[in-house]
Order: sequence, then C-alpha cells, then structure tokens
Amino acid sequence: MGIKGLTKLLADNAPKGMKEQKFETYFGRKIAIDASMSIYQFLIVVGRSGTEMLTNEAGEVTSHLQGMFNRTIRLLEAGIKPVYVFDGKPPDLKKQELAKRYSKRADATEDLADAIEVGNKEDIEKFSKRTVKVTKQHNDDCKRLLRLMGVPVIEQAPSEAEAQCAALCKLGKVYAVASEDMDSLTFGSPRFLRHLMDPSSRKIPVMEFEVAKILEELNLTMDQFIDLCILSGCDYCDNIRGIGGLTALKLIRQHGAIEGILENINKERYQIPDDWPYKEARQLFKEPLVCTDEEQLDIKWTTPDEEGLLTFLVNENGFNSERVTKAVEKIKAAKNKSSQGRMESFFKPVTNPSVSIKRKVNKCVLRFPKPGAQHKFSLQAFSFSRSKVIGSLGMSMLDHSSKYSGSGPLVMAACFGT
Amino acid sequence: MLELRLVQGSLLKKVLESIKDLVNDANFDCSATGFSLQAMDSSHVALVALLLRAEGFEHYRCDRNISMGMNLNNMSKMLKCAGNDDIITIKADDGSDTVTFMFESPTQDKISDFEMKLMDIDSEHLGIPDAEYHAIVRMPSVEFARICKDLSSIGDTVVISVTKEGVKFSTRGDIGSANIVCRQNTTVDKPEEATVIEMNEPVSLTFALRYMNSFTKATPLSNTVTISLSSDLPVVVEYKIAEMGYVRFYLAPKIEEDEDETKPQA
Repeated sequence: MGIKGLTKLLADNAPKGMKEQKFETYFGRKIAIDASMSIYQFLIVVGRSGTEMLTNEAGEVTSHLQGMFNRTIRLLEAGIKPVYVFDGKPPDLKKQELAKRYSKRADATEDLADAIEVGNKEDIEKFSKRTVKVTKQHNDDCKRLLRLMGVPVIEQAPSEAEAQCAALCKLGKVYAVASEDMDSLTFGSPRFLRHLMDPSSRKIPVMEFEVAKILEELNLTMDQFIDLCILSGCDYCDNIRGIGGLTALKLIRQHGAIEGILENINKERYQIPDDWPYKEARQLFKEPLVCTDEEQLDIKWTTPDEEGLLTFLVNENGFNSERVTKAVEKIKAAKNKSSQGRMESFFKPVTNPSVSIKRKVNKCVLRFPKPGAQHKFSLQAFSFSRSKVIGSLGMSMLDHSSKYSGSGPLVMAACFGT
Repeated sequence: MLELRLVQGSLLKKVLESIKDLVNDANFDCSATGFSLQAMDSSHVALVALLLRAEGFEHYRCDRNISMGMNLNNMSKMLKCAGNDDIITIKADDGSDTVTFMFESPTQDKISDFEMKLMDIDSEHLGIPDAEYHAIVRMPSVEFARICKDLSSIGDTVVISVTKEGVKFSTRGDIGSANIVCRQNTTVDKPEEATVIEMNEPVSLTFALRYMNSFTKATPLSNTVTISLSSDLPVVVEYKIAEMGYVRFYLAPKIEEDEDETKPQA
C-alpha cells in the first residue's frame, strides 16, 4: 500500500513541504476521502474481538457502518465537509499486487482455521484481521448511509479512488485529500492530509503536505517525483532491489529520470526486474483514469434524513435509537460551524517590509558567530512529531550551527542556505 | 539597535492582556514610525493589528525596520512582573536573539531587567486595504463588553444589524433568543458615554461570539469602542490607545451556506 518510506524521505529532505495542523483548523474545508480504504480499516478495527464482529440481528456485519457513521460525524462536527470516493475497476497493473493480497488472504483463512482448532486466541485475532475483505454489500451499505447523512459520495470512480480524490483536489472541488496512503501525493493531489481521521483520543496532529512545496524543496519536477515514488516502491510494479528512497532521490537528481538511471546504473550490482513496467506505472500516476466531468462531480452537502437514518440504522441494523437521534442533532448543529469565514478570503498576503532581527544574524554571521542560538524554535516546533523526525532534524540543526563557528567558506554556505 | 521607552508602562501590559488569548506567537514589527504587530488566531478567523506610534514613546530609537518573534504568553508573564506605574523600556541589540524589558519604578529606586528569548515565526502578513464601511458604530466599550457577555450565555453567534433605528445585537440558542438594541444617543454628560451611529447603508452580519468576547479583553485600553461593518468585509472592532495608536480586531463573518457554494476554493 502506498509508497514505501516516502513520509520519512520527505521529512528528511523536504521538511517545509509538510506542516502540522490542528484538526480544528479545517472547519469549512471540503475534503475528499477514499471510502474503500476507510471501510477496510473499519472492518479490521471497529468492534472486533477474535472472529466476532459487530453484527445486526440477521448476523450481518455492521462494523463498517458503525465506523463510517462515527467518523463522518466527527468530521462534520468539526465543520469539515467530507466527500467520499469509492473505488472503480482497479488498473491492470495492480492485478499483480491484488493477486498477492488475495493469496495472503487465502493463507490467512487457512491459518485462521488452524488457529481456531488449536484455540490460540492471539492467532485467531491476528489471522481473522487478515481475512477481511470489503464486499460490494459493504460499499453499498456505506453509500446508503452517507447519502442519508447528507454527505456526498462519488459512487464509482472510473478506476482508483485515490486518483479520483487527487483529481477533485486539482479541479479545486475540494481543499485537500485525506488519506493514510501516500499515493495521493504521487497522483499529484496539491494538498494531502494525513491523520485527519485518526481518533481524537490519539491526539495526533494532522500532517498537511503541499506538493508544490515538496517539489520545490526536493528540486524535482512532478515527473521526477513520480519516478522517485516508483523507485521507492509503489503498488503498480516492483522496484529495483537494493534501491530505497534515499538512493532513488540521489539517482533521480543525478540522471533525471528512470531511463537515465537504467542507462547508467551498475547492472551487476542492481537487478532490474524483467519486463519492468515502470513506464506504465508512471502513466497511471501521471494520467490516471479519472472523471473530470463537471456535472458528475457536482458535490453538495444536504441536511440529513433523520427518518431514513433511523430506519436504516436502528430498524435494519440494530443501532441504539437514542444514539442515532443524538447524532442527527449533532450533524444539524454542525452546519453552523462550517459557515465560518476565513481572513484569507478577504485579505491577501503581502510581503512584510520588516526584516526579522534574527534573520539578520545570519547575514552578519561573519562578524558574530553565535553557534546554535537561532534554531531553538525550529526544534521546538517539531518536538511533537514522530520521534524519528526529531532525531534527524535535531542532527541537521546541530550541523548547521557548527558551521557558524567553522571556517569562512562554510559560513558563507550557511548564509546562502538560510 | 532598538530602544523604546514607554512612561505609561501599564498600556503595554493591557495590550498584551487583550491579545494573548487570541494569538500564541507573533512578530512585533518595529520601524521609525512605530511599534506594530499583525497576527491571526490559529484558525485564521480573526486578525489583530496593533499600532503604538513612535510619538507616544518618551524615547524611541529604531535604526532599521526589524521584526521580533515573541511568544505572547511568555511576554505577558514578564510584563506581569512590572508594576502598574512602572516605566517600561524595550531593548534589543542587532543580531541578538533576545529582547530585554526594563521596568523602572516611578521613584527610580527599583530597576528590573527581564530578558526574553526571541523565536523564528513564519507568519503571513496580510494586506488590509482602506475601506469605506457601510456602517460605523461608536459606543462605550464597557457596554459592548456587557452585551457580548450577556448574549454568549444564550447563543454562540451574534447578528449585528445596523439600521436607521440603531444597532441591534441578537442571538438565538437552545433556551431561547435575545435582542439588544442600542439607539444613537449623544445627549450625555461625558462624550465617551455617547453612542454614535454613522450609516451609509443598512448592514447585517453574523459573527461567532467566542471571538467577540475575546476582543472585549481590550476594554481597559479605551472608554469607547468603534465597530465598523460592511457586508463584504470582516468586522473591525477598534480600541483606540490614547495619543498612541490602536488595537484593531478583525473578524471574518459567518457566511450563508449557499453563497459559500459559489465561491471559489480558497
């Protein structure tokens, strides 16, 4: 799933392209979400113990409904306007990956049967999670639920939902794409949010990625970035063994594109896969099959259908009626929140004539080298990000400051860098 | 080199108290004309603009335009250590990464130096064009604070409407609704108790009371408050700082859903 190690690669090499934001700051924003991925997560996590899952009276699983209902309410309550996109037909290239997943699931089903026989609880838990499959019924249930809640859905993307989400963002139909799958960036979604849908109890800030800034910092074109993602490892084709994200970045910078790398790389050391379909994968990322028809993408948020929700959730799926009624109230109350305007819609940014007193330190650094002083805040600002990031950022800061006290040319380099 | 000496140190204390809950970190910009700040709250719904003109300081030296990033909470902590009658001097050296607040007691027998670390703040500076407002209301600041506080016990939002009759503040909540009308009133003993309404066009806008209440923390700075409204602009709530400048709060209105749909994505 996604692009291997891309988050870390970006944190190390393009930190300005990502910033942490509070969940609350997204009020009034339209956000596209890959529904199929969400449903899969719900089926794994929500209300599961061993092989038992949340079900209605008829014994049909309702975990996906429970998860979708709660999460969507949480988003709506924050004034966010979600739009869910459902997967269409997977591209041919993904078949290999899907087949792998299918066989893994088959293995897990066997393992699960064994585990049940032996009665190993841990294994039952582990393998039953691996047997999860999102069916058409699950998708249809969720579409019905969302429509009743007044939340728009794009019923069937022509192909991958991730690609369609990115297309919506490119068209300006939504502010950003929320996903845990870094593919969104490769599909060129201008703004991409991670952890938006994490439960509030985990208190993880939303991580906002901006493609334009990432490209600027990596000093790559979008095409090169796509090649970088393919080399790092994507869903559509194998990567070259022994080349990870960092090496890939170096190679792309050196040779410009995968073609250039293939010409120059030591083929003894690195094994290029036979019939490597990187061109096709590139094409899928660059021009994925998406719908850009204005009429089909007319996204509207409406008032929830209270009666419909009660019938569907309470009568048909055994939800607690009091909870559903309360939730509907919440959705209605949330309308208010999404109408708050933002300053930027009225006033536009201008350049500030003042120069930061501290930036000036860098300019006159030749006269007063002050090691370490100016970067305290940057460190602080990142102190709540994941520990690996802290480590690497911390290191680069220290490097930086040591340059100040170092020799002349190095100091100059530091000046240009800031 | 920067050195600003403010005899009425309590002003700076009050300014900080009025903005520190709205904004966490901000850049103070210092130029030959004055000491200013522009910052938005974290959700970019409200903006505060502060100006303390150079003339208002007893001594004002600023060799070149600089900006100093400060954590307002920390700055407030330090300023709280100054007495209300103290003279406050703000000092910073070129190339330093700290700012010093010096407090002198009126009798000059106690002098305190507080040095605070500066920070790098990446903030956007918004251009605020001069605008003709549809309606401008001037009223006692205490009265405005009272209205905001009272209404927020009933609802979350306030509709401010200005008509020929006067200015109306209304809200609606679970327990009921409230309407407060203030009429123009210039026949008062003291000019600061007057309510003056200038209206070119009737206007009605909806705002979040939470922010309005936060703005009224500036009430101690001024006896009167000026509220400027236009249907297509954020409201401006201005507290003048005698002889020196102002604190202005801008708040984006709530927008009707349908209008919002037609607007391009920001």
